[in-house]
Formats: sequence, C-alpha cells, structure tokens
Amino acid sequence: MKDQSLGEFEELVLLMVAALHDEAYGVAILENLEEKLEKKYNISAIHVALKRLEDKSFVQSRFGGITQDRGGRRKKFYVITALGKRMLDQQYEIRTSIYNQIPKISFS
Amino acid sequence: MKPYPPKRALSFLRWFCREDYVEEIEGDLTELFQKQYDEAPKKARRKFFWNVIRYFRPGFIKTLKTSSATPNTAAMFRHNILISYRNFLRYKSSFFINLIGLSSGLACTLLIYLWVNDELQMDQFHEKSDRLYQVLEHRRQADRIWTAESSPGPLAAALVAEMPTVETAITMGWEFSATLSIPDHNIRATGKYVDKDFFNMFSFDLLQGNKNTALEGKTGVVITEALAQRLFGTTENVMGKMVDFYHEKQYMVTGLAKNTPSSSSQQFEFLLPFESIREGRQWLQNWENTGPTTYILLKPGTDVQAFNDQIADYIKRKTEGEVTYRTQFIAPYTSRYLYGKYENAVLVGGRITYVKLFSIIAVFILIIACINFMNLSTARASRRLKEIGIKKAVGAGRRTLMYQHLGEALLLSFLSLVVAVGLVALLLPQFNIITNKQLALRFDGQFILAIAAITAATGLLAGSYPALYLSGFNPSAVLKGKFSNSLGELWARKGLVIFQFALSVIFIVSVVVVYKQIEYIQSKSLGYDRENVIYFDREGRTENNDNLESFLAEIRSIPGVITASSTQHDMTGHNSGTSGVEWPGKDPNDKTEFENVTVNYEMMETLGITMAQGRTFSRNFTDTARIIFNEAAVAFMGLEDPVGKTVKLWGHNMEIIGVAKNFNFESLRENVRPAFFRVDPASTYLVMVKLAPGEQGETIKKINSFYEKYNPGFTFDYKFLDAEYQDQYVAEQRVATLSRYFAGLAILISCLGLFGLAAFTAERRQKEIGIRKALGAGELGIVFLLSQDFTRIVLMAIVIALPTSYILSTYWLSNFAFHITLQWWYFISAGLIALSIAFLTVATQAMKAAGLNPTQSLRMD
Repeated sequence: MKDQSLGEFEELVLLMVAALHDEAYGVAILENLEEKLEKKYNISAIHVALKRLEDKSFVQSRFGGITQDRGGRRKKFYVITALGKRMLDQQYEIRTSIYNQIPKISFS
Repeated sequence: MKPYPPKRALSFLRWFCREDYVEEIEGDLTELFQKQYDEAPKKARRKFFWNVIRYFRPGFIKTLKTSSATPNTAAMFRHNILISYRNFLRYKSSFFINLIGLSSGLACTLLIYLWVNDELQMDQFHEKSDRLYQVLEHRRQADRIWTAESSPGPLAAALVAEMPTVETAITMGWEFSATLSIPDHNIRATGKYVDKDFFNMFSFDLLQGNKNTALEGKTGVVITEALAQRLFGTTENVMGKMVDFYHEKQYMVTGLAKNTPSSSSQQFEFLLPFESIREGRQWLQNWENTGPTTYILLKPGTDVQAFNDQIADYIKRKTEGEVTYRTQFIAPYTSRYLYGKYENAVLVGGRITYVKLFSIIAVFILIIACINFMNLSTARASRRLKEIGIKKAVGAGRRTLMYQHLGEALLLSFLSLVVAVGLVALLLPQFNIITNKQLALRFDGQFILAIAAITAATGLLAGSYPALYLSGFNPSAVLKGKFSNSLGELWARKGLVIFQFALSVIFIVSVVVVYKQIEYIQSKSLGYDRENVIYFDREGRTENNDNLESFLAEIRSIPGVITASSTQHDMTGHNSGTSGVEWPGKDPNDKTEFENVTVNYEMMETLGITMAQGRTFSRNFTDTARIIFNEAAVAFMGLEDPVGKTVKLWGHNMEIIGVAKNFNFESLRENVRPAFFRVDPASTYLVMVKLAPGEQGETIKKINSFYEKYNPGFTFDYKFLDAEYQDQYVAEQRVATLSRYFAGLAILISCLGLFGLAAFTAERRQKEIGIRKALGAGELGIVFLLSQDFTRIVLMAIVIALPTSYILSTYWLSNFAFHITLQWWYFISAGLIALSIAFLTVATQAMKAAGLNPTQSLRMD
C-alpha cells in the first residue's frame, strides 16, 4: 500500500465513481462533476486523479465493449474497491465528528 | 458519419502516450470532441489540440525504451571505458600505433580544414556581398574567347545613369606603388584609384572621414592606419594633412581606414579618387579602350540573368555597332576569388580546384589512418576472444558489443584529437609560411563543432568494421578456442592494406610529377634571359622623357651594368593588347588581340631576345615607324617573307624589320600568343637593367647611390625579373611543398599499420618459427617467409596505383601548355620506394622474430 491520503479533488472523483457505480468512465465522471459543482474541469485532471486512485487501490478498472462513438476505442470503467469505500467512510466519519463538535451558536 | 478529431493531434498523442493509457484517453477525448463538435466545430478542434497537449507530461509519456531498457547504462559506460583503458595499457604498441596514426591524420585534416575554411571565407565579410558584382568581358578572338577583367572608363557612370537596377557602380584602377612624401620623409606604398562610392560598396572600415565624401573631388586621399603610422608616425590628427605623391601632386588626407583584413582579396594602403586621373586621358573616356575594372551594386531582388541579357551588347550599342566582339556580363564579387578562371566563356574553376584537391587529400589521409585502426583491431581480435565470448554467454546482445567497440574507437579518436590539436599548434607557424596565410587556432563554436564532427566521424569510421566483426563471433566456438580467420575476413584486411598503399603510391607519383613540372617551368628557356635583370618604375626626373636617354646612358656607364633600357611591358603575364594590327588579307571581323610590347632601343638586347629574321631596333635608323613581330604573330597573320613588308598599326603604316623568336611572356599554362614590338620611348614606364653576373649586390649598391643623387626624394625600389616570374607559379609551388609533406605522412601512417600487422603476425607464428628453426631453417629464410605475404599485398597495391596515378598526372599536366612528358621511371621509382619502405618495415619485425631462440618459444605449454 502506498500513500493512503486522499486529496480533495481525488475524493470528489472517488465519490463520483462510487455514485455512478459500474457506469463510471472518464467522460461520464467529468460531466457529472461539472453538473454537480457547476465548474469546468479538464478531462486530463480526471485521468490523473483516476490513475492515482488506481495506484492507491481505491478503484479498479476494466475495459468495456467497442462502440462506434469513440473512434473505435473502448471505454474504461472504474468501480470502487472495498478499500476505497472504507477510505470514504473514514473521511466521512472524521468530517462528521468534527462537524458535530461545532458549538451550537447562531450563525446569523 | 461521426466527425473525426484532428489527425495530427491524434497521431501526436499516439506517439507520446503510454500504450496502456492511450486507449482510454483517446476514447474519452474523441467522445468529448464529438459532443462539442455539434455545437462549435472550430472550438472543438482547438479544444482537442489543447487537451492532447495537457497530457504531454511525465505521468502519461512513454518511458524511454520501455521494453529493452538497460537500467545500468551508466555502469556499462563506466565498464566499457575501464575495459578500453585496460586494453590500451595492456597492448601499448598497438595503442601507440593507433594514436600516432590517428593523431597525425587528424592534425593534417585540421590544418587543411583551417586552410580551406580561410579560403572559403575570403571576401565574405562585405555586408552587401549578395549584391556586389564585377563587370567582366568575353572577347571573341580568332582562336578562342578570352575573358578580361578590364572595362571602358565611362562604364560605371553610364550603368548607374541608364540601368534602373544598378544602385551604385565604381571604376577601380590597378594597384600601383608610388613614392609618398611629407617634408623630410619619403616612403613607398601601394594603392589604387577608385571612385567615390568605394566605401558604400565594400565593407572596409573607415575610422575617420565621411564614407560618402572622402573620395569625392580630385584632391582627397584615404590612407590606412599602417600607412599613417609609417608616414606620420602616428594615427592621430592625420586628417587634413597634405601628402605629396611622386613629389608632384598634392593630396589631402580625407579619410583614415582600418588596415585591409587578410580575408580580403584586394589589399591597399591608400586610395585616391579616380576622378583625379580621368581628365586629360583620352583612353579613359571612350568605349573602345579598356583599362580599369568596374564593380556594381545591384538593387535588392535584381534578376542577374536578365541584367546580363541587358548588358550583353552594351558595348555594341555604345559604339554604335562598331565593336561587336566584346560581350559584357557580371560575376558575383565574392565568388571571384575562388571561381576566377574562364575558358572560352565558360567558368572552369580557379582556386576552388586547390580547395577541392586538398579537401580530398585530407579525407584520404584520414581514411588511411582509420584503416590502421580497423586492421589492428580485427587482426588482434583473438586477444579479446575470451572477453567477447564471456560477455555473449552472459547475455550481452550484439548491439551492446558494437557500442562497446565503437565507443572504444571514439575514445581513441578523441584522445588523438588532443594530440592533434597540440601538433597543429606546433606546426601552424610553418604551415602559415608555406601557404602564405595568417591562420590561427581559434576555439569558437564553429571550429569546435567542426573538429568534434570530424573526430566523431573518424572514430565511427575506424570503429565500424571492428565493431561489426568482433560482435559477430559465435560465443560457443570462441570460448572453445576454435577461432580461425575466414578467407573473407583475411581478404577484407588485405584489401584495406592494398587501398592504403595504393593511395601512398599515388601520392608519391604526384610528388615526383609536380616537382618535375615545377623544375621544368623554372628552368625552361623562355626565349629571353631573365637572370640578373632588375627593373624599377620611372619616377620623378626619369619620368621626364627628355631625361630618359641621358639617365639610361648614365646607368649603362656604371661598372657591372651590361645594358639598360626601358619598356612598357614587364614580361610577366598579359600586359597590354590591341586588335589594331592590320595586314593584307586580314578578316575585317577578326578582333584578335596582339600583345603590344612597347620598348626603348636596346630593350631586346637587354632581355636577350633572339631574332629569327631581320634586325632589332637601332638608333641609326629612325625606327619609330618600324615593327617587329614574334613568330607566333607571323604564323597567325600567315605572312611569307615578312621582313620588309608593311602592315598597319592603328591606321599607320609600319614596316616589318624583323621577326623575334617566340618567347613566353605569359605563364607557361598558355601557348605563346601573337605579339609585336615597337619603339616609343615616351610610352615606357619601366627601366630594366641587365647586371653582370657575380657582383650584382655591388652593382645594385652603385646604381642605388647614383639614383639617389640623380632623383632626390625617391627611393630606389627595384625587383628582380626572375623573382617576379616565379611569383606566377606560387600556387604550384605550394602544391609541390604540401604534397611532399602529405605524401610523407601517408607513407608514414601506412607503414605504421604495416608495422603493427607484421609484428602481430610474427607473434602469432612464433611457434611455427620455433619449429622451423629447430628443424634447421635459416634466419634469412624465415625473414622471407614472413615478408612474402606483405610484399605480395604491396605489389598488388602498386599495380592498382600506377595506372590511376598516370591518369591523374596526365590530367594535371594538361593545365599547362608547356609541360614535361611523363617518364616511365617516375612510376617505377614510386613503386620501388613504396615497396622497399614496406619491405623494410616488415623485415625488421621478421628479423626480430627470426632471431629468437626457438627453445624459448617452444618451451611454453
């Protein structure tokens, strides 16, 4: 196991992979992220993040079938691994617990 | 049909991207592209490009040589160098043979490179060089077309006025030397007359003065720094000072120029305005006479071919159809130095011939040195069999081994380079004397690049065959010790030695032929006697025609002087020609020029020109309307019994009083051309004095002291006629000297190689020799046994070289109208020299081997 940390953008991509479940590939991830966050991303950033996640074994990949749309190139689908899921859970827990420590003061 | 993404971006992506990623990335990019394409096709294409470029970063680029990469390249490199170093140490003799051979070959190549580079740089420094042209003329003669540099006096001004494509043009006079003086100080300097735009055309630096106006008017002079130093003793405040020329004409310094660089073909110490001599000289103002040279600066973008078409019949138009035999054309000024020779209106070369010749020699000498390396490394392959076998057995690929041996050759050649640069630094002063150049080792970018390239090429050439050969062994056979030279390899090696020696023999023959031809030129009877003749300009009082006779009489009365006279023609090279000779039966269109030799009385005696018929000029007759032709002229005109007949010269009747035997007034490259003598003391510019042999030095001193009294303020500046004659063959003499050195070097290197091979053979056949000796063979027999092979190889080289060298020398000699006939012994002696040197080299090795005690060589194993 290499570095077990998770960057902010990596976390977003990992979440999206988990959310799209079995339908997650480069363009789909990009478009969903852009839609959710209302922000423009470059496809290469997504790819870099995916490669890193794969290196850290948070995701697994497989090739799909050949389609006409992509100039004959296959899609590469990503699914989240158990380790990835645990990592996400951990992140979520840490954040929630810190969030819960916020004193109940009015933020008006 | 789906839109297809930009091809170039796609292939770039495929080229750099990792194979395992490319599928996904390309697919995603294509999909994105197709989605965007529907909205905005152009933007989509731009975006695609940009996206591809975004992937061009470490994480996605292929690693170099992913599959067969050797992670220990550096270690292998170190290992190879170490092995090479150990080999050098172990086999010192072959190392030194290779080092000496390669370094002397490289040194010779470097010297030639410096020389060639200098020749190519000649005149290239002019900023407007691409637009600078010289006007030349083809002149149709009865037997040839002669290309002349001189043009009519009014040409430059007319071209500027009438040709819209000519930016500026200048007239330039020939170089002359003159006495310059300021009060109490006289010196001689050389310079020329030029038109005012000189500095606007040529990029000579003018330090002080205005380059537009310095030569305007008739009274200014531009001098160089060196001349200012000589004349005034300083270069400061010289502007505006007055300088006397010939104690006659005053010029004011209006410009101070930098000394002319050695990379300029024109050299001068002073420049005078051409305007100051134009006036009152009829022949500078018409189109029929020619004399000065003309240079033009074309406007940018001018079509030279079209311009040539325009001026082809310029002379004809200017003379209203009178002169039809002269065709003008322009040639780039910067190429004139290397490409200056025309034959029948076709450019046939010039100095470029020697540039090419020496470049070829350099390449050949380098090849000879490379062959040594190839032969020694392949012959000694057996010494490295185990190394190669083991390396292969452990898994070294052929390529690795090739790199190793190429690397070794490169290492050696760069070591040689270091030695070679040292040698060049040592030899350069001597080389500069031979070539009359100021070459220097300057380590600028271009030079370093050039020598690195030459050395690398040498290393690769030298290493190529050994690398291929050594890396091709079969490891199992090699390790078992079953190694035998196949017939093919043996022949390759022999072939290389044959090639080496053939080149050496060709070099030797060329040395002999060039030497003999030069000797022939220098000793050939020219039809006149140039020994012990000195000549000098008529200046000051002697320039006055009334004084000439009495001056000559005084000179003649000096003891040690045989005779003295004056002439217009210095008897070396073409001087002054005219087509104004008319004889009965002449074709009116014939514009062949006769050489015009205007002389004073007693000139023909001074030069010892012998008469075939008739008499020479004599004061006893008024001979000004008489003429003497040479035999070539009589033959050309087809006159029979010429003496007593009358011809016309420039419209005047001239009676032929004699026929002079042919004499060579031009270089021996040319045949003797028609010439005539006429008497006109007023038109003679040179005084020639024939001295008695044996005491020339004394006599010259006497003439000098007389001259200084007679002609105060002028220095007695004389030249020897034979020295001047030699100057015509400077190029040949240089070739002669250099080819001697090169031939010596070629033989030396070849013999080094042979020496190495012989030593090696003797070593390998030690046991055989031991057994032979034990069985009673004599030493002499063994020497012959060992030298046999090599002698045969060298003989074969000679057989190949002799016909080749015969062809080459015949070709070179055909440049001369007068040349030696090739003798069989030139070739035989060259062959014998090569053979005996080779034999001696091998025999010394063989003797050493034969002298060994057989018990020693047989005792081992």
